Amino acid sequence: MTPDELLAVVGADAAVGAFGCLTLDVDPDRWLTTATTLRDAAGCDFFDWLSAYDDGAAGLAVVVRVWSVEGRHGVLVRTRVDRDSGSLPTLTPVWAGAAWHERETREMFGIEFTGHPDPRLLLLPDGFEGNPLRKEFVLASRVAKEWPGAKEPGESVAGRKRPLGVPAPNEWGDA
Amino acid sequence: MAEPTTVTWGHTYRLHTFDVGLACCAVEFVAAAARRDEMDALGVRPFAAEPREADVMVVSGTVTDKLAPQVKRLYDGMPAGSFVVSFGSCANCGGPYWDSYSVTKGIDQLIPVDVYVPGCPPRPEALLGGLAALHDRVGT
Repeated sequence: MTPDELLAVVGADAAVGAFGCLTLDVDPDRWLTTATTLRDAAGCDFFDWLSAYDDGAAGLAVVVRVWSVEGRHGVLVRTRVDRDSGSLPTLTPVWAGAAWHERETREMFGIEFTGHPDPRLLLLPDGFEGNPLRKEFVLASRVAKEWPGAKEPGESVAGRKRPLGVPAPNEWGDA
Repeated sequence: MAEPTTVTWGHTYRLHTFDVGLACCAVEFVAAAARRDEMDALGVRPFAAEPREADVMVVSGTVTDKLAPQVKRLYDGMPAGSFVVSFGSCANCGGPYWDSYSVTKGIDQLIPVDVYVPGCPPRPEALLGGLAALHDRVGT
């Protein structure tokens, strides 16, 4: 199945091929229907992975990659959800293997997957507060103590910029 | 009986160790402990099948907050007065993950540690040195 044929089946608005990989950008309301179409009409029967990344002001991007074992073609599907109240329908009815990936994405980014059969924390201990893979998540240890290493010989700790995501000491605390 | 020395450790008493291998240091520990002649000379019998058969627990690898209760549970399953060896930087203090959101910064927050073996990973000689230091503790 060529990329154009796949596009015709899925009927997505945009497709960007990066590194030879077909990428579909869809709206959140078409998340589940696109997944179902990919499985049933495009033969993508193998769930590869699902994750997310923090895209700053553009929101949180959720990415899922699926693969057709028989057709040997894969598709990357991406959508963007709101930072504060982002939610997506779960893909577990389409691919059961999505369950653990959605659990991890939920706890790491704070995205709800509505209808998930088992929305417990997967990797984080019970009672954990915050979503560690968001850019605004503060690594408390780095606030108390700067990273002591050096990437280059002679690179001194003094005067180095703060690591990404760590506020200045007087900004630490309630906003 | 004479004071135990390096020569007599091997036939004074035996320390049965139980390895809690959680990350890459587990492989390093197994490689070091597989030297049976070295271990016999130190009177150490590695690879106990379960905690209650062991005198020494060796925690090797990165302990996460999620898994920390299980490490504590294994320690509680050992006979009273057992010893704990913390093997590698992660078990000692969090190691390269000192700023992580999920890594326990040292197992001494959970259980009492008798000997810390430094290194990332520690060399096999460091394990031998740690076990020798443990003998000093056992003997006193």
